[in-house]
Amino acid sequence: MIVVEQLVKRYGAREAVRGLSFRVAKGEIVGFLGPNGAGKSTTLRVLAGYLAPTSGKVRVAGHDVEEDPIGAKECVGYMPEMVPLYPEMRVAEYLSFRAELKGVARGKRRGRLDDVLAKARITEVANVMIGSLSKGYRQRVGLADALVADPPLLVLDEPTAGLDPNQIREVRDVVAGLRGSHTVLLSTHILSEVEASCGRAIVIAKGKLVGEGTVAELREKRAARGVRAKVDGSQDSVRAVIASIRKSLPKLAGEPSVSVVDGLVTIEVTWEKEVSSGFREAQKALAKALVEAGLGLVELEPVRGRLEDVFAELTLAPAPSPGGEADGPHEPEEAP
Amino acid sequence: MRGFWPLFKRELFAFFVTPLAWVLICVFLLVQGLHFFVLVEQFSAQVSATADVSPVSAFFGNTVLLYLILFLLVPAMTMRLFAEERRSGTAEGLLTAPVSTAAVVLAKYAAVLVVYVVMWAPTSLYLVILKRTGALDLHVALASYLGVFVVGAGYLAIGLLMSAMTKSQFLALVLTAMVILSLFVLGVGEFVAREGTTMHAVCTHVSVWAAMADFSSGIVDSRRLVFYGTLTAVPLYFTVRVVDAWRWG
Repeated sequence: MIVVEQLVKRYGAREAVRGLSFRVAKGEIVGFLGPNGAGKSTTLRVLAGYLAPTSGKVRVAGHDVEEDPIGAKECVGYMPEMVPLYPEMRVAEYLSFRAELKGVARGKRRGRLDDVLAKARITEVANVMIGSLSKGYRQRVGLADALVADPPLLVLDEPTAGLDPNQIREVRDVVAGLRGSHTVLLSTHILSEVEASCGRAIVIAKGKLVGEGTVAELREKRAARGVRAKVDGSQDSVRAVIASIRKSLPKLAGEPSVSVVDGLVTIEVTWEKEVSSGFREAQKALAKALVEAGLGLVELEPVRGRLEDVFAELTLAPAPSPGGEADGPHEPEEAP
Repeated sequence: MRGFWPLFKRELFAFFVTPLAWVLICVFLLVQGLHFFVLVEQFSAQVSATADVSPVSAFFGNTVLLYLILFLLVPAMTMRLFAEERRSGTAEGLLTAPVSTAAVVLAKYAAVLVVYVVMWAPTSLYLVILKRTGALDLHVALASYLGVFVVGAGYLAIGLLMSAMTKSQFLALVLTAMVILSLFVLGVGEFVAREGTTMHAVCTHVSVWAAMADFSSGIVDSRRLVFYGTLTAVPLYFTVRVVDAWRWG
């Protein structure tokens, strides 16, 4: 549905997108991830035909955006980041204007209008002046606008930005409702967003592709990184137990932390990053040692790498390219 | 031309639901009404009017008021057409819809031209008044309105181009006013340059004063029509190019 090959977009001397390539297949819901300023909006604007690529090929639904711009735009429902609306129009007026502009036949317009008003849950504000709508409603009018001509492909630029948690859930529901019938590419810098609604994610940073994979693959990257245990006993005895089994544990990242929380001693052990197996054995060994030492084991849970850490890892690392330019300071990936 | 009709309707709607068009029309009619009143007073005071000066020709030609009005009103009418869309970001929604750039440009132009015509329409009542109280040369009146139309059409096209070139409405207003003023000043050269020189010929050709003097005495000169036709078509063509160029921003 979307084919982007070696896309470059330059604003004057600044390169916003540097040789980005990716594909989105029909029917997929794909999250387009990246920190602010990574080139997400620029890429989506090229897809929507608002910006011209400096170089590279971009095809949507089989239409090249440069050779057949109108054909390409017909297949895309685009929702810009700062949803631009005419404040002097009423919601229904605006959507009916957009439907006509997008070539929805006169006879079908009324039906499409009712449909998107319901889908975006804005039926109750249909006759309200856009200028007096709240941000959440404006966002949803933008979503309705993207849907109004029922295009096969939806390109949504941060559809949940600035919404409250309830509204975010509603927008997610709308997107989830498109599964199967539409192809969706939605950008975000919020990871839970991708986990909630997307089957696959494309991660970019500094205008380049830094990661791509299904949500399951992303989750894989945040497999258990350690173990946390809460026991009833004294700190010293806990330390002694850990020291006794330390040799049998995988390589640790730093010293285990021991602290007292609500009268319980909490131990947190984190494995070194390279460690890829033996977690389960280590957990069992720790539990066994604690119990054998006569300490009351209250809780034992794996410490998962947060998705945020995966994200940071992908986007802060120097892009894997022969050029390898790593401009700007970036955080060290892990504690020394 | 896909998208022309809905865009044209929306543009007209935008003119008339915001106070701008009404304010402009009111100011325009107030000034023109006073102008007409003064003219009628003056003509009725004259005992013997010369044959080739009628209230109609005095209303449209040999008066600085017409240019002053165009100079003040045209920039205000055209300034928001594109500049506002770009400033508020609605240009993004507009240009990602499956419409051709030419349709966008022509729809906006057609809308502002309609507003211009609507603005002038009530002045035809003056003709009715003149007709009821004395003689009225219909040819002169029609030629005068044709003149007002072609001059306005050219100026509005320039205003549209200026609006497409900047995100600031104010800058668009100033640029348009400057171009119109420059054209007027160039036209004044008709009276300054020595007769027979190229300069004089150019100035006479460009002069809106000379053009309206012709039209208001019933002369429809094809050179004038070609000049103002060009003054309309060329800015419109460049507006399309400028709007296309936004994509490279």
